[in-house]
Amino acid sequence: MAEIPKAHDFFESSSAAVGDHELRRKLENASARHLDHFAQVKAEFPPYDDERDAAHRIKTDAIAHLDELLIELTSKLEERGCKVFFAEDAAQARDYIVALAKAKGARNVVKGKSMTTEEIDLNDAFAKAGIDAVETDLGEYIVQLRGERPSHIITPAIHLSKEDIGQLFTDKFGIEYTAEPEKLTAEARSRLRSIFLAADFGVTGVNFAIAETGTLIVVENEGNGRLSSTMPETFVAVMGIEKVIPRLADLSHFLEILARTATGQKLTTYTSFITGPRREGELDGPGEMHVVILDNGRSSMLADPVLRDALNCIRCGACLNVCPIYRRIGGHAYGSVYPGPIGSIVSPNLFGSGAGYLPFASTLCGACKDICPVKIDIPRILLHLRWKESTGKHPQKWPRAIERARRGARRFAKTARYPRTARAIGKLAAIVLKPLAHNGYLRRMPGPFGNWTRYRNFPRPRPHKRPEPERPPS
Amino acid sequence: MAEPHKIIASVRNALGTGVRSNSHDAAAAPAVPVAQSAQRAELASTFARELEEVGGKFLGILTPAELTNRIVSLAGEIGAKTVALGQGVASDMDAIGEALERADFRIVRTLPVADTERAAMRARVADAELGIADADFAIASTGTLAVVSNANRPSSLTLLPPASLVIVQIDRVMTSLAAVLAEMGPAGVAANRLTLITGPSRTADIEKRIVLGVHGPKSLHVIVVWPQND
Repeated sequence: MAEIPKAHDFFESSSAAVGDHELRRKLENASARHLDHFAQVKAEFPPYDDERDAAHRIKTDAIAHLDELLIELTSKLEERGCKVFFAEDAAQARDYIVALAKAKGARNVVKGKSMTTEEIDLNDAFAKAGIDAVETDLGEYIVQLRGERPSHIITPAIHLSKEDIGQLFTDKFGIEYTAEPEKLTAEARSRLRSIFLAADFGVTGVNFAIAETGTLIVVENEGNGRLSSTMPETFVAVMGIEKVIPRLADLSHFLEILARTATGQKLTTYTSFITGPRREGELDGPGEMHVVILDNGRSSMLADPVLRDALNCIRCGACLNVCPIYRRIGGHAYGSVYPGPIGSIVSPNLFGSGAGYLPFASTLCGACKDICPVKIDIPRILLHLRWKESTGKHPQKWPRAIERARRGARRFAKTARYPRTARAIGKLAAIVLKPLAHNGYLRRMPGPFGNWTRYRNFPRPRPHKRPEPERPPS
Repeated sequence: MAEPHKIIASVRNALGTGVRSNSHDAAAAPAVPVAQSAQRAELASTFARELEEVGGKFLGILTPAELTNRIVSLAGEIGAKTVALGQGVASDMDAIGEALERADFRIVRTLPVADTERAAMRARVADAELGIADADFAIASTGTLAVVSNANRPSSLTLLPPASLVIVQIDRVMTSLAAVLAEMGPAGVAANRLTLITGPSRTADIEKRIVLGVHGPKSLHVIVVWPQND
């Protein structure tokens, strides 16, 4: 991962993003459409909650037996003719993959959509080695052409309008401008098809790895995962250690919910079950298959009993779509390849304490917990990380505005301890601020309170009415 | 006992005194009990509905005899010049290939290849306008096809040509994904590459608008085959 920005940068990038009305329109559009789909498929699938329970249970059990499952998976993969490499961190993973590509004399590298390869910054490593690596998922292809990173783990180009993409294709390929998604997609298809047919080295991520059989599951809609894993002579699958599930029979529980929460589909268009390289005489499949199993901070998450639950994540992206913060600032502002609520949990652990500010970028409203298909208690883990951060050896250095807000909150807490004083201040404020109110809200407040109203309205303080004292139960 | 009614006598007369065949005893019970047959029909119709929902085209439940003609006419409808096919799970792909050739379509037959022939064979499959493959199973609840690939039936057939036709036998239409995985078992799934196909290739990467045919086929056609004696 490239440098994670400091808390100061996050404060700036998120403030800028909140002010970007165009971005907010795109995000609101996309998430609204998404949530409609989800509500519909969920209503049509009564066992949804049972499947969630099953998925939660299986994954929690799997994580509790991770060592045994990884041993079983490794031996099955090797039995099937795969080469297995355990990478302790991002550097080990990308060094292994790039060295392999060099050893194979790879010239055309194709990549299926994979967040794990984003996590290890594989594209940069290929570029530094002078090897062309092309992202082949349409959204990833678009952000790669723009020299950007994905802003959503399922919909990488969610921050771009069709006009943005039309302009990009005109600039890059010199084709006539069009903003029609069909035409833009057809253009990308024909360009990427010739790249696929000439590809000699393919990389994809892994959604699930079945320990019992040594089978890797890759889910996708476009076909880029199928092409990336069947066309090139050498194929590398990259997976985090947490992707392993015990048995084939466990899989349907996950597949029944993953697509429903991720994209509102019943199943994704393509689900590939890959067990080893191609067999004798086969047209498709790699001659050589490598599986890179990545730790990169995951085992330290495992060691923390609260954080451990976050390893259940199946990367569906649903928590991003419902998050009031994500929906206002988008993915880039987080400064991590894993944005949104789950990103705020995994990023500080995968990318180091530099991202320690992220657990604070949440209202703890719990929408993420409600939608999570594997029932991760995200708010609880965020609170846990906040506690760890503020009691740790190197607490976050906050921007001045936030420090001021914290001091303000502390003062408020002190005052609130004396009801009489608090009520007196409230009465005074109600009188002083009344002329500034508009429809019951303050759009601007004086002095240090102005920091609040810069981004949101404040309800007008009203004279306090003493509540009826509750009568003790007789 | 009273005399039989005279109608009985006239019936007896009408039938005459020759040897009467007794085919009633010999008639076999239906090969498939009616209840099972109804269940199959219902699974097939659920499958058809779900397939159409994800943008696939259901061409109907056909007998093996009707199958070949329908395929030839489909190839014509989509304007194909070249059709790629491998060996079937149950369908007689040789007969289908011959029928297509008689109708003047060029045929690419995917046979086991040596390493040196791979690129050329792929290019030929990619140039075909239609790829035909048999599915091992279909899943009614999601409109999904489960296709196992091997040396005679490469994955490319359902991936590279812009139109894809998949054929599945009626007794292989199952209720759910879990049922298919249970039927195949761990050994069956691990033996070869298995691909679940639910509709044509699609993306929603540009403003969440659904566009078909990104990398894989733009159109997916499915025929369910129901043998007459079954």
